[in-house]
Amino acid sequence: MISYALFYLIAAFILLCSMMVVVSRNPVTSAIFLVTDLFFISALFAKMNAHFLAAIQILLYAGAIVVLFVFVIMLLNLKAEELKGARMTVPEIGVLIVSAIGFVVIAALLGADGATTGGDGRWTDEAITAAGGNTFAVAMRLFVNFVWPFELASVLILLAIVASVVIARKDSLVSSGVGSTAPAQGKGEKGKVAHGTR
Amino acid sequence: MEQLTAQLNEVLGMFGLALWNDAFVQVVATVLKFAVLAVALLQIPPVMVWLERRAPALMQRRRGPNRVGVSLGPIKLRLYGLTQSFADAVKLIFKEEVVPEGAHKAFYHIAPIFGVFPAFLIACAIPYGPPIDVFGYTIPLSIISVDVGFLFIFAISSLAVYGVTLAGYASNNKYSLLGSLRASAQMISYEIPLGLSLIPIVLIYGTLDLNKIVMGQENFWHWGIFTAPVSFVIFFVCMFAETNRAPFDLAEAESELVAGFHTEFNSAKFAAFFLSEYVAMFVLSALCATVFFGGWQNPFISNAALASFVVGILNAPLASFGIALGAASVTNIAALIGIGVLALKAGFFMWMYVWVRWTVPRFRYDQLMDLGWKFMLPLGLANVVGTAFVLAALKF
Repeated sequence: MISYALFYLIAAFILLCSMMVVVSRNPVTSAIFLVTDLFFISALFAKMNAHFLAAIQILLYAGAIVVLFVFVIMLLNLKAEELKGARMTVPEIGVLIVSAIGFVVIAALLGADGATTGGDGRWTDEAITAAGGNTFAVAMRLFVNFVWPFELASVLILLAIVASVVIARKDSLVSSGVGSTAPAQGKGEKGKVAHGTR
Repeated sequence: MEQLTAQLNEVLGMFGLALWNDAFVQVVATVLKFAVLAVALLQIPPVMVWLERRAPALMQRRRGPNRVGVSLGPIKLRLYGLTQSFADAVKLIFKEEVVPEGAHKAFYHIAPIFGVFPAFLIACAIPYGPPIDVFGYTIPLSIISVDVGFLFIFAISSLAVYGVTLAGYASNNKYSLLGSLRASAQMISYEIPLGLSLIPIVLIYGTLDLNKIVMGQENFWHWGIFTAPVSFVIFFVCMFAETNRAPFDLAEAESELVAGFHTEFNSAKFAAFFLSEYVAMFVLSALCATVFFGGWQNPFISNAALASFVVGILNAPLASFGIALGAASVTNIAALIGIGVLALKAGFFMWMYVWVRWTVPRFRYDQLMDLGWKFMLPLGLANVVGTAFVLAALKF
């Protein structure tokens, strides 16, 4: 009973925050609602006994990624007035609220079993304790059962990081022209000086 | 009475509880424990403010504030100036609140909450002592005991950045914004070596649970400071940076930024930032004591042995009143000793905060970032790899 009540309370907060992320006109407000949204999602994980996942969710998403979002937004210095054209009309807000409520009702009808609330899932409290604790169970899956896919995925992410750094660099190999003519090199150096003095 | 109990049980039954069953007792105990902890944490800022004034006075051969006192008729209480802090607290609460023009109203009001909330939540994860025994129920002395203790602490403490960032953004003041950018960049940078410094501890004790880490340090020579000394050095430096304290107090460098991110905050909102800073300091001090100095354990003698010794002494005079202290009292006295020992250890690190503040001058911002990224981070990584190799070698 209390489990269901908690689930619907948290789910309502998640929906509310998600809606505010999209609806609010100030980008910083959106980002802050995204943080609260992620916080409540991790509360849902914690309710399903996935403590490890809940902690990682807050640590990585709320604590690191959205902080970067906030920094970028603040440095771009977007003001709410600049987005005046984006103001929602009353019918649009109405449609959003109605569809949100509709979604909650449908979810309540379809998902009113243990699979949604995590109450009667495979990983009960006893099952987790038997598996040696939350972190141990996750670690066994990641580093023993599925170690190769896991390592391959991490290499893939590393590739993406290196690629983004190469693309973002001003004097990248492509523009400075390895083995190209002298003017191109001079241009590259000039660009570098201008960047330095700025 | 029985009827009332039955009715209450019927209501509680809907939530899967019943009066005085195990789950119900734990819920009530958690609420009570949090109330006690919150009240205890609220006492930290007044005492620390007093210490921050008296300690530099001691170091600089002057008196410091010692005049404010309480006058109870003929008895005049001065308490070495301790009452000055209470005068300050009253002043802060009753001050007129001024919201700066052009401030973002909602964020301006929310920012202090974002600052206080993580600090109090992390304090719940620290084990303050061995479990106590109340009417036959065993109650652990940490409010949240999850098996991902460390990760929980880092997850919640990474949220502390938002209070600082929002405060700077909402104030509509360039000094606030500069201070908040500095503070949040610093907190994000030093979170990484702080996390890395604790990985060897996890490797050595084989658990993320703070309670089990304390139990693993039962032997004095198994304390974290001996098993992972490099980790302690990194943790100790990052502790100061993470709380924006001197010598890393760039975020509120008075000579450059007025007061940093909380320049535009006054009265109770300023007090909230103040509170969150001191609670964060206490939490990191207590964490340092828990991880590297055996937590609530005494060196060389176990708490239980000490407690039974105390009970042995107390039982002799109490016997004349017909009272005999049993096994439950031994457990509870051991818990009390544990709380005292942890408070002493954490208090030492709180004193270190003040001591270092009046000893080491402020870093420059580029020096701070260099230290974090070019020295602490590689050292932390090397420490993790080195510890892992040593542990693997010891297994052979």
